[in-house]
Amino acid sequence: MASATGITSAQETAFRRGTFQGKQLTPQQREELMKPFLPSEPTSSPDREIKKAAASRRRKSVHKKRTGPIHASIHFFVYHVIALLFSVFFRFRRAYRLVRGKIVELLKYHHRTPEFIAHDVKKLQKLPKHLSVIVDYQEDDEHQGNAGLEGLVNDVCEIAAWAASAGIPFLSVYERTGALKNYLPQTHASIWNTLEAYFGPRRKPTLSLRAPHLSSYSPPNTPPQTADSNGNLKEERQHLTVLLLSEHDGRDTIVDLTRTLAEMAQKGDVRQEQINMDLIDAQLSDHVSSEPDLLILFSPTVQLKGYPPWQLRLTEIFHLPDNKGVNYQVFVRALYNFAKVEMRLGR
Amino acid sequence: MGSLHDSRIHKWLATSPPVAWTIRQLREILIGSLKQGPIPQHVAFVMDGNRRFARNHHIETVEGHNMGFESLARILEVCYKTGVTVVTIYAFSIENFKRSKHEVDALMSMAKVKLEQLSEHGALLDRYGASVRVLGQRDLIKPDVLKAVDKAVSLTAHNKKAILNICFPYTSRDEITTAVMKTVETYSTPIHNLQSPSKRTFSESGITQHIRKQSLKDDSEGGAEQRESRSSSPSKEGKHDDERSLSSSTAINPSEKDESHLHQFLDPEAITAQTLTDNMMTADAPPLDLLVRTSGVERLSDFMLWQCHENTSIVFLKCLWPEFDLWHFLPVLVEWQWQQKKIQEAAAQQQRSRGRSKSD
Repeated sequence: MASATGITSAQETAFRRGTFQGKQLTPQQREELMKPFLPSEPTSSPDREIKKAAASRRRKSVHKKRTGPIHASIHFFVYHVIALLFSVFFRFRRAYRLVRGKIVELLKYHHRTPEFIAHDVKKLQKLPKHLSVIVDYQEDDEHQGNAGLEGLVNDVCEIAAWAASAGIPFLSVYERTGALKNYLPQTHASIWNTLEAYFGPRRKPTLSLRAPHLSSYSPPNTPPQTADSNGNLKEERQHLTVLLLSEHDGRDTIVDLTRTLAEMAQKGDVRQEQINMDLIDAQLSDHVSSEPDLLILFSPTVQLKGYPPWQLRLTEIFHLPDNKGVNYQVFVRALYNFAKVEMRLGR
Repeated sequence: MGSLHDSRIHKWLATSPPVAWTIRQLREILIGSLKQGPIPQHVAFVMDGNRRFARNHHIETVEGHNMGFESLARILEVCYKTGVTVVTIYAFSIENFKRSKHEVDALMSMAKVKLEQLSEHGALLDRYGASVRVLGQRDLIKPDVLKAVDKAVSLTAHNKKAILNICFPYTSRDEITTAVMKTVETYSTPIHNLQSPSKRTFSESGITQHIRKQSLKDDSEGGAEQRESRSSSPSKEGKHDDERSLSSSTAINPSEKDESHLHQFLDPEAITAQTLTDNMMTADAPPLDLLVRTSGVERLSDFMLWQCHENTSIVFLKCLWPEFDLWHFLPVLVEWQWQQKKIQEAAAQQQRSRGRSKSD
């Protein structure tokens, strides 16, 4: 650490303790000490127009012009060398990670069997109660053939099946445009079919699908009734809730809440002191979603793309660098990562 | 790296004047060359890992925080020299008050000492053109610390080139709540009281209705367009005035006014995400481009939630904050520049293809 800062040891003690060769420094001496590390006088200082300063400045600028081009060309050169080196490095890293990911994926395929997935997460001490994922709606079919609504539904179905297999009761799916919200029944049917493909018709978990401001969709007459006839079976069956979120549930919802509060305040129904964090939190978690324990990104970098901000407070954010697309490996590694982490709430 | 005392020879060599000078020149060259590419305008840091660093190196927790401060000074230098305009740091969370009293007190006194030292060197700060701002719940700061804070803030307030936002007792939820509260306050304060309108012959509501009818005929489309452009326009001051005049002239419901309310209010429908953004503590800062959190914890911990959930690149680093330096920051910046270039290329390509499809 000390090796890279470019500060001599005498200077270091001077900075840390405010002493130089055993003597306490005055502010002036400290400033003198700092001189070599400071940038040059600001060029755009407000007194530039003043003629008096111009003369001395001109002398300086002549001096600068001599070294300027050399410095500039060095910087230009170094910048492009760095950019080139890193670009090569990033590409190699991405290729390496891609290949490794594919190999691991082959070795540890889940075979669409819940037991395999359950076995994968058996060792984990804790699982998220509320898992959230961000998926993308891809308009053009450039990657792995999962473009458009169909690809999106496919992704959601797979993730839902993995979550159910791992024993996670609540899954929220964020997708920026909210395209799926218009197709609740169809999406429900698709997830339902996927669950059946994983679990088989007898053991598949019950499913309810909902979105904020839309009523929960769980067709009453399909599965639970068969369970109702046999009381024991009903309790054994796990239940999965899938919540669809979109960009609208983030900022816009907070804006809506503010509008409502402002309207109420105008009528005198709410006083300003009554607006506090608990009120907002209660409203948002009722109408949108609770805080997820774990958020999985399937994108190569961490960009939240408008995910509801209020709910993100202490959420663990997982992404696999350079990963592209929904992938079982990301899911499992996120769960592993989550189980290792100890929660520290500001302490 | 093992203990701090391990590599004494290594350290002696590195801190010997010629080597130190070379490294400094190298740093300058690197910083200068970084400037050649795009530079994030607003960078935020979560300075995590001071205590773990102290534990790993068997030093006092407070000493760990001190090392963290040095690291901050180094990184600020890098940021401002490369041309970052706003740096926001998470210095102290409201949740941190739950820590041991000893540590909280030590942190507070450290903040006080550093801010006082900073105030002694006002002239030097002007060279960076940096102004210091403190974001957070002021009423949670002790009076003596608050005095130092105010002094440092007022001393640097005239600097415009760069801003250092210190989130002192801060949480993002608190910030959002405050923004909502402020907005509600603005919209629930009457603009002006009407002086008993019923006494006169002409009713104001009748006049406004007539005017509105006229204006509806005139520019029904124009008004809608204005509305849209308003929500996307970046200029803030102008917009507020716009809103006020617009809502006071057209948006008031005349029937409501006649009933019981003699007050006029701003129309709550005029509240947009931008209104809330303007009420955040980082209102005048450019959008957050890059958020860096050290020590491998992949959580936001109630920091900049409103600011970073859109297009911010969030980077989680494994190294602890006191170890954080140019050498850790450089790859992050270069990768950001690389991504930025990709985004620009993609946008250019999209534009080109769009242009092609139009011409077809």
